[in-house]
Amino acid sequence: MFFVEEVVIQLLLNFVAREELNAFLRDPQHTATIVGSLIAVSGALLGTFLLLRGMSLTSDAISHTVLLGIVVAFILMGSVFGQHPDLSSVWLIVGAAAAGVATVLLTELIYRSGLVKQDAALGLAFPLLFAIAVILVSRVVSDVHLDEDAVMVGEIGVAWANTNSHCLSGCESVTITPDDPRAELTRQCTNCRDLGISPRDDKAEFTEICTNCGQYSPAQAWQAGFTEQEPALVFWPKSITVMAVMTLLTLLAIVLFYKELKLSTFDPTLAAALGFRPTLLHYGLMVLVSLVAVGAFDAVGSILVVAFFIIPPAAAYLLTDRLPRMLVYSSLIGAAGAYTGYDLARGNLLGIANLSDILAGLNDLFGLGLSESWDSSISASMVLMTFFFFLVAWTFSPKYGLVSTMLRRRNQRRSFDHQVVLGHIHHHQGSASASEELAASTLYRHFRWTPAKMQRTLRQLRARNLVQIEANLVSLTERGETHAHQFRETQLTNESVGE
Amino acid sequence: MSVRSGKAPHDDWAAALEIDDLTVAYNSRPAIWDIDLRVPEGVLMAVIGPNGAGKSTLIKAALKLIPRAAGTVRFYGQPYEQVRGLVGYVPQRGSVDWDFPTTALDVVSMGLYGRLGWIRRPGQGDRESAMHALQQVGMQDFADRQISQLSGGQQQRTFLARALVQDARIYLMDEPFAAVDAVTERAIITILRELRARGKTVVVVHHDLQTAPEYFDWVTLLNVEIVASGPIAATFTPDNLRQTYGGRVAYLHEGQRIAGLEDE
Repeated sequence: MFFVEEVVIQLLLNFVAREELNAFLRDPQHTATIVGSLIAVSGALLGTFLLLRGMSLTSDAISHTVLLGIVVAFILMGSVFGQHPDLSSVWLIVGAAAAGVATVLLTELIYRSGLVKQDAALGLAFPLLFAIAVILVSRVVSDVHLDEDAVMVGEIGVAWANTNSHCLSGCESVTITPDDPRAELTRQCTNCRDLGISPRDDKAEFTEICTNCGQYSPAQAWQAGFTEQEPALVFWPKSITVMAVMTLLTLLAIVLFYKELKLSTFDPTLAAALGFRPTLLHYGLMVLVSLVAVGAFDAVGSILVVAFFIIPPAAAYLLTDRLPRMLVYSSLIGAAGAYTGYDLARGNLLGIANLSDILAGLNDLFGLGLSESWDSSISASMVLMTFFFFLVAWTFSPKYGLVSTMLRRRNQRRSFDHQVVLGHIHHHQGSASASEELAASTLYRHFRWTPAKMQRTLRQLRARNLVQIEANLVSLTERGETHAHQFRETQLTNESVGE
Repeated sequence: MSVRSGKAPHDDWAAALEIDDLTVAYNSRPAIWDIDLRVPEGVLMAVIGPNGAGKSTLIKAALKLIPRAAGTVRFYGQPYEQVRGLVGYVPQRGSVDWDFPTTALDVVSMGLYGRLGWIRRPGQGDRESAMHALQQVGMQDFADRQISQLSGGQQQRTFLARALVQDARIYLMDEPFAAVDAVTERAIITILRELRARGKTVVVVHHDLQTAPEYFDWVTLLNVEIVASGPIAATFTPDNLRQTYGGRVAYLHEGQRIAGLEDE
């Protein structure tokens, strides 16, 4: 990961100065929105396939059980290699991927027993693994930074502070040894305490110790004044690298195996018959979900991450019925949710309203004494904004949204009313009972409609030039005649030519 | 069991599909039991039997989509893995989610994925052959329709086009006539006959006893075990049918419709 950062930094420095880059990365908002958007995009891409496979909640299970992978890797690293890896270590990622696969395997094992249903099997498998993880966290690695808060909602707001420092120039690391002229030596009595004597005593024995000996990194060396030149450093937040790598892996996998993923999602039987390996693809997808979940764990915890997998694809599903567009839309919705979510956490709702002002207003009006600075969980706010975009899609989607469905239903109802009236006129026109059946003022009685509804319908039909009213007698115009005829032809005949 | 289609009397055929001693069990209950079957090249064969007779199971086991308890299956003398490209498969229409965000044309082009192999994407030429297959089933005007907006019959024809585009030598079709309208049924049978005319072999799981003698020239009667298999005229007899369905098929020749025994 360190090397990847080096390359990216060198690339970026072609466009911006080092100080600018540092200033940019030191802004918590930038790191948080970058990390949040990366989580959202990778989650949305994978979530699209999960949604279409009807297994959205598997992402919830996996985002919990990756904790077990992390903890087990932690323990193994500690006992075998004697070191505590941080959350960007490759081994933790391997552990998390294994935990994800284990979750799915265990679920399937329970399900295959035939004794519980699929959703219950998932519900049996993942709390078990998660519970083991929680116990291990509290018993074995209680000293490390893995508290309940981090598990709950993550710490995307401080992601900027956990950095790798990359040195560009003046990278002189310094080692001070006792014979170095810069070494600060002091004499210390070695037996004073044991013998209870003062250092001035004759029996006192002395040894020289060096107070500033040791290894100095370039930054430390400069601070201690051992080097002439201030080293040029870039502080790169680790979580950006981790999520960027996960997002790239996800993108790569989906671009390369788009066709295979699509086929095995739509028709796993044909995929198997054609020699693609649906099971392999299934587990590959699960590994990717685990990787994104573990990458996101630091930032948004293991509970909220599921929102990034489910909400954007659910919104995109309402907006299009083409898979490629669904992938693009859900990525955009996820990224937009992450971006606007950061602002919401700081009290800014889409630049429309300032929630701090609203709180102040409430205080002024009612004297509630609320805290007037709106400062809330960033990850939770990102989820809220993503959900807001889902609501927008749900309400206003041109094809499946509530509004368009309502309008379409109303139009259908209206056009059906029109047809009913046209049909009635068509039927009775010119017959003996015409004067009775087709009197404009009493027509509503034959339909058991309200007079108002009949009036409205007749008005609309006249506006469309389909009927005319002469001397209180309703009749079809020429156009209306054709219209009624066509309707009979196309809708009332029982021909099932596909359509 | 009476008329078993063992190997012995038919050794002069070139078998497109050859099944020996095939048994498949779901939880130790046999779904199909000790099947020996030879399908000669170039026939249009119906697989007929009651609910739970194992008709779909037979096809799926032949394609290794479900594990076999015992037995071997050979297509043109080869195990399936070696000749995937020669075998086209039409699953039951209900086996997929038709709300999937894709078009009829895209579904048809999925038939080409086997030939393309991993990672390679279909190109312009592939889209043209998919379009041609849609034309063959009379669906060219619906190429860009989202698949949930197709009628059941149109969906079935889309599936058929997807198999056609594979350009296989033998086709295995799981209930292509289930719940389709008359237009689609005619379209499908026309295409099946065209396939036969081009020397292809077609195996169809079929429900409608009424239409079977008209549509097919070969039949396998199945009820967990093979009851009979052979040319339809000699095999599709009241005796054999009675044996296949138990006592339930008594009045075949009085023109009663015995079909519509639903999915297993």
